[in-house]
Amino acid sequence: MRVVTAVIAIAAGVLVLAGYFLQGIFPALASVQALLLNWAILLTGMAALAGIFNLIFVHTDKIRLREKGSIYSAVLVIGLVSTLLFGMILGTENEAMKIVLNGVIVPAEASLLGILTISLLYAAIRLLRRRTDATSILFLLTAAFLILGSATLPFGNIPILGTVARWVSQVWALGGARGILIGVALGTLTTGLRVLFGADRPYGGN
Amino acid sequence: MTFSLDLITGAVSFLITLLIFSYLIGDNPLFRIAIYAFVGVSSGYVAAVIFRQIILLRLFQPFAVAMISGSLLDKSLTLVPVLFSLLIFMKISPRLAGMGRVAMAFLVGVAAAVTIAGALTGTLLPQALGAINTFDMNAALARNIQPFEVIGSGAITLAGTIFTLIYFHFGAHPKPDGSMRRLGLIEIFAWLGRIFIGITLGAIFAGVYAAALTALIERIAFLINFIGKFL
Repeated sequence: MRVVTAVIAIAAGVLVLAGYFLQGIFPALASVQALLLNWAILLTGMAALAGIFNLIFVHTDKIRLREKGSIYSAVLVIGLVSTLLFGMILGTENEAMKIVLNGVIVPAEASLLGILTISLLYAAIRLLRRRTDATSILFLLTAAFLILGSATLPFGNIPILGTVARWVSQVWALGGARGILIGVALGTLTTGLRVLFGADRPYGGN
Repeated sequence: MTFSLDLITGAVSFLITLLIFSYLIGDNPLFRIAIYAFVGVSSGYVAAVIFRQIILLRLFQPFAVAMISGSLLDKSLTLVPVLFSLLIFMKISPRLAGMGRVAMAFLVGVAAAVTIAGALTGTLLPQALGAINTFDMNAALARNIQPFEVIGSGAITLAGTIFTLIYFHFGAHPKPDGSMRRLGLIEIFAWLGRIFIGITLGAIFAGVYAAALTALIERIAFLINFIGKFL
C-alpha cells in the first residue's frame, strides 16, 4: 500500500508538472494535465465536504455527551444543517440563501474585521510594553507613519508625511516584502519537490 | 416601512453585528452564539455551493451521462473521480480512513506539482524580474525620475531583499563552548534583515489596520442607519 500511494502521488505530480513546462514539446500533456487538475478540483470539493461532515459529527457528539458548551454546538449544527438543506434543495441563488449570505455571513465577517481594530491596537500597545527592541519600535513607527500618511486628518494633511510614507512603503518595505516572498516561495518549492521525490509522504505512506 | 426581504436581511444583520460587537466588553455568551452561528451557517453555505456546483454539476452529471451514452473510455474517465471521491469520504470514519490514502496521495501529488509551478512562475521569477527592473534606467527616464534616485531606491530595495533572505539562513557552526552561532558577517546581515522585516511587517500592519478601520466605520454607519429607519 505504501508503494502504491507513493507511486500514485509521484506519477500524478510529475504528469501535472510536465504539463506546465513540457506541453510545447508534448502537446498531449496539456489534456492529461487538464484531466488530472479537474479530478483534483473534484476531490478537493469532496475533501471539503468530508471536513464539514466531520464538523457535524464532532459537534453532534458534544451535544449527545452534554459536554460543556454544548449549547453553542447545537447553534452550530442547527445553522449548518438548515443552511445546507436549504442550499441543496433551493439552490444558492434563492432569496432565502441571499438572506443567509447578506444577513449573517457578510455582516459577521465585516464585524469581526471591525473588532480587529481594537484587538490590533491592544496588541500594538502590549508589544511596546513586552518587547522594546529596535525591530518592534521600527515596526510600530512604520505602522503609525503609514496610517497617518494615508489618512485624511481633521486639520489637513501634513505635506511631507505622505511623500515619506510612500517612500518607506514603496522602497524599504518592498525590499523586505520581496525577501519574505522569495523565502516563502523557496520553502514551498522545496516542500513540493520533497513530496515529488517521495521524501515526504503527508498522505500517510511512511 | 414595508415588511420586505431587505428588512429581514437588515434585522438579522443588525442582530449579528450587535452580538459580535458585544466582544468589545469582553468574551461573553452572546458573542459565542454569534460566532458558532456564523461558523455553522458559513460551513453549510460552502457545503451547499460545493454540492451544487461541484458534486452535482461536475461529478455526478458527467458520470450519469457517460454511463448512459458514453464510450468505454468516457465511462472509465468519469468513474475514477467518483471512486476517489468515495475513498476520500471514508476519511470521516476512523476505521475506514486508511482506504482514503490512495485518493489523498493523488491529491497531494497534484497539489505539490501545482505548488511548485505556482511558486516558480508566480513568485520566484516575477520577484527576481522585479528586483532587476528596479534598476531599469530607460523606464525611470520615461517617468522623469533621476538616475541617482533609481540607483538609490534600487540599492535599498535589493539590500532589503538580500538581508531579509540572510535573516532566514539558520546554518550555524559549533563554538568551543558548545554553543551554536552563525558566522559574524551573517549575524550582522541578519540584524539588518530584521530591520527590513520590521519595516515590512509595519507596512502590512498599517494596511490591515486601515482595512479593519474601514470595516468598523461601515458597520457603525449601518447600525446608525438601521436605527434611524425606525425613528
